[in-house]
Amino acid sequence: MKLLQNKVAELFKNGTINLMIGFKNALNKQVVPCFIENSSQAEQLIYTADCKNNLSVYLHKPEVKKIKKVGIIGNIATLRSLIQLTSENQLWDIEQTILTVNEKDEIILFKNMREVETYVQTYFPENHTEEDKKLLEYIDSLPREERWKYWMEQFSTCIKCYACRAVCPMCYCTQCTVECNQPQWIKISSETTGNLEWHIMRAMHLAGRCIECGECGRVCPVGIPIHLLTTKMNQELFKEFATRPGFSLKGEYAMNTFKPEDKEGFIK
Amino acid sequence: MEIKTINTTNISTFFNQLVQSGKIVIAPVLKKSGKIFFERVQSYNQIETDYIQTAFSAKSVVFPKVEELFSYSKTTDNFETKQSLSDIPETVVWGLRPCDSAAFNYMTRFFMDENPDIYFATRKERTTLIAISCAKSDEACFCTSVGLDPGKTKGSDIQLTLMGNEYYVEVITEKGLSAIKTSESLFTSSTEKSKEKYLAEPTTKFSIEEIKEKMQNAYDNVAWGQESMGCVGCGACAFACPTCTCFDIQDEGTGENGKRIRCWDACGFSQFTKHASGHNPKPNQTARRRQRLLHKFKYSVENIGMVSCVGCGRCIRICPAHLNIFENILNVTKA
Amino acid sequence: MRVAKITEEAPLIQTYRLEFVDKKEADEFSFKAGQFAEYGIFGEGECTFCIASAPTREGYIECTFRNTGRVTKALADCEENDIITLRGPFGNSFPIEQWYGKNVVFVTGGIALPPLRCVINTLLDQREKFGEISVYYGAKTVNDLTYKAELDDWANRGDMKLFITVDPGGETPEWKRYIGFVPTILEQNPPESDNAIAIIAGPPILIKLGMPILSKSGFPNNRIFTTLENRMKCGVGKCGHCMVGKTYVCKDGPVFTYEEILKMPVEY
Repeated sequence: MKLLQNKVAELFKNGTINLMIGFKNALNKQVVPCFIENSSQAEQLIYTADCKNNLSVYLHKPEVKKIKKVGIIGNIATLRSLIQLTSENQLWDIEQTILTVNEKDEIILFKNMREVETYVQTYFPENHTEEDKKLLEYIDSLPREERWKYWMEQFSTCIKCYACRAVCPMCYCTQCTVECNQPQWIKISSETTGNLEWHIMRAMHLAGRCIECGECGRVCPVGIPIHLLTTKMNQELFKEFATRPGFSLKGEYAMNTFKPEDKEGFIK
Repeated sequence: MEIKTINTTNISTFFNQLVQSGKIVIAPVLKKSGKIFFERVQSYNQIETDYIQTAFSAKSVVFPKVEELFSYSKTTDNFETKQSLSDIPETVVWGLRPCDSAAFNYMTRFFMDENPDIYFATRKERTTLIAISCAKSDEACFCTSVGLDPGKTKGSDIQLTLMGNEYYVEVITEKGLSAIKTSESLFTSSTEKSKEKYLAEPTTKFSIEEIKEKMQNAYDNVAWGQESMGCVGCGACAFACPTCTCFDIQDEGTGENGKRIRCWDACGFSQFTKHASGHNPKPNQTARRRQRLLHKFKYSVENIGMVSCVGCGRCIRICPAHLNIFENILNVTKA
Repeated sequence: MRVAKITEEAPLIQTYRLEFVDKKEADEFSFKAGQFAEYGIFGEGECTFCIASAPTREGYIECTFRNTGRVTKALADCEENDIITLRGPFGNSFPIEQWYGKNVVFVTGGIALPPLRCVINTLLDQREKFGEISVYYGAKTVNDLTYKAELDDWANRGDMKLFITVDPGGETPEWKRYIGFVPTILEQNPPESDNAIAIIAGPPILIKLGMPILSKSGFPNNRIFTTLENRMKCGVGKCGHCMVGKTYVCKDGPVFTYEEILKMPVEY
């Protein structure tokens, strides 16, 4: 940790950053995001395998954008989010300094987004836990009606807290579809069909953009594995279009790019 | 108040008799996700007994996440409205913690003050609260910092404290007495005993009197920015919180038939205070988080003389960034 | 309530005269100047407006609103004889009984005239009880003035001082009254503060510029009144939307003295 803390302190001292978004230890043995504003606070910083939060979501905050020179430390999922966000032109107003720690515990300070892109492209990390893989297999194995029943049961417990949306780096709309009331596309109160509509709508908006950090499923207060919806979506999209989000700065992802060779089997 | 004891071997019988009485019994249940929620159960073997705190509070018994206020339908030249308060069943909540019981106390004060809320009043009247004192606590618990403790009986109708092979039973209210009536043979009268050595000892983070005083001048503290940075603006804390009572009112239906409902809302949402003109008096997350904390530790005190936080720690555990409310309070009240 | 009469006041602004469907309700209903109600259309929702007619005028109430959002659009689409809902009256009121024998000064602009028009007409209906009544009112253009016919009636009474103005550039060739922003006209024609009460209501900019002028003219903070607006839902101080500090605008307001306003955080 000392190396990381010293590195960050140095970045403050030489004026590269005015804010560092990282992780610190907290109660109940949890690891939580922390926001460091000067070099003396750098000693709180840690980086372990428990650092699961996708910190790139904080780069949407006007309070963070105002600070401009922002440092951020990320796991692979976070780095992929940064690439996807950059390709969607969402980070033009922040001077980012991006760090990561590789499996050899080496601290990598990226000089620019190209280096992040190269780093991520040399990895093909398995984002999903064994638990996730088993659950996805289980849901896949269910016949259609059973699969529907499974998800409706899950959605009946959704409380519409929007924690899933709030932690998602790709959900950066300043006014979400559900916040429009002319018309009220999806009802505000929690009710199974409405909840289904909300989650399916969000999965559609994320199709081809979600980098499968799993944050939405992790933070859901009622334990719905919603991250599996977009994981499955991405699997289907890869089958059809052979693209994966969060690997290229070019910004050509499945739902915003047309190629003449795209299959048109759905047009009969 | 009556003091009794009941052997641990008889507790399930008592519980099952409550179910058989026809009342709806809500108790903590362990879900597949590993979280524990209050749910309707049919027998004692469905409930979880080894836990520190449930993920969500039991407030939905008296303040449901969606509640129909009335239904409306068009007649030839007017409208007809129907309220359905008579359908609300008698309910027993089992396995609350003392902090949760105290939260029901706060909610009663809040909802019944000035413009009494008939929906809350009806539900509360038909609810019996059976709390279990805390033998364990974790680092997110801070009830002793807000004037409560793991054995306090404030708000409970019956309070159980596990003492070895029996439960010490404090029957505090008439409602509590009537709940044990049919199971009277399972209980033995007892003298008052000290609960202290059976209770958890959460660390006290601050003195509530000191905090109440310091919060008077906390509004302009520059620390709010730093303390709110981690907040992503969801409603998880407000929805899990046993004392959060903000709600939205929506009409669901057509212009001719439908219902008016109220549902949980959260001051953390960006649209909570937004005017139709587009002007938002609380335009950023800092202002919104500040509202939440000041409401709990200053405005509630000024309005009804009660701090609206019971130190249950749910907000800390459920928050995507695990924002720590007592740490925030300490930091924004530093000079 | 039945929509008895619709008056087009200005672009997107209408006044509805509402009558009770049930005579018993009409007999039981009473309100004080300054109170508001929740006007609604089943299926759409409710909206908060002040009651714009004077409580001294029986048999009907009036509300004036701008077509801005979902509920106001549904209201604006109503025709005469349609049924709308009303919940109220809510809130506190102007302490008019304390103003007997005093001069009363009104400063307002645009669509903020409705709540004050209620008070003005209440005073006019008992004219002999009050001293001088002055009204400073302006809008962006001549067309944007509300209650145009009433403004003429007030002018023709001869027992009021009127300063009706439009913003520079908002005048028509026939316009014979003042030209200039309301705070400017107020500054050029400062009201006498001796034995006088001031009521100021309007958009934040009007309050920001107008309040210091009233203070400079000698009005102490406890003799300047205003009426606040905030997002409301329940109207009875429970849902939490309208809170400004510890104050519920719906229950403890909407009428406040400037002295009370200064004690609140600027969150309105």
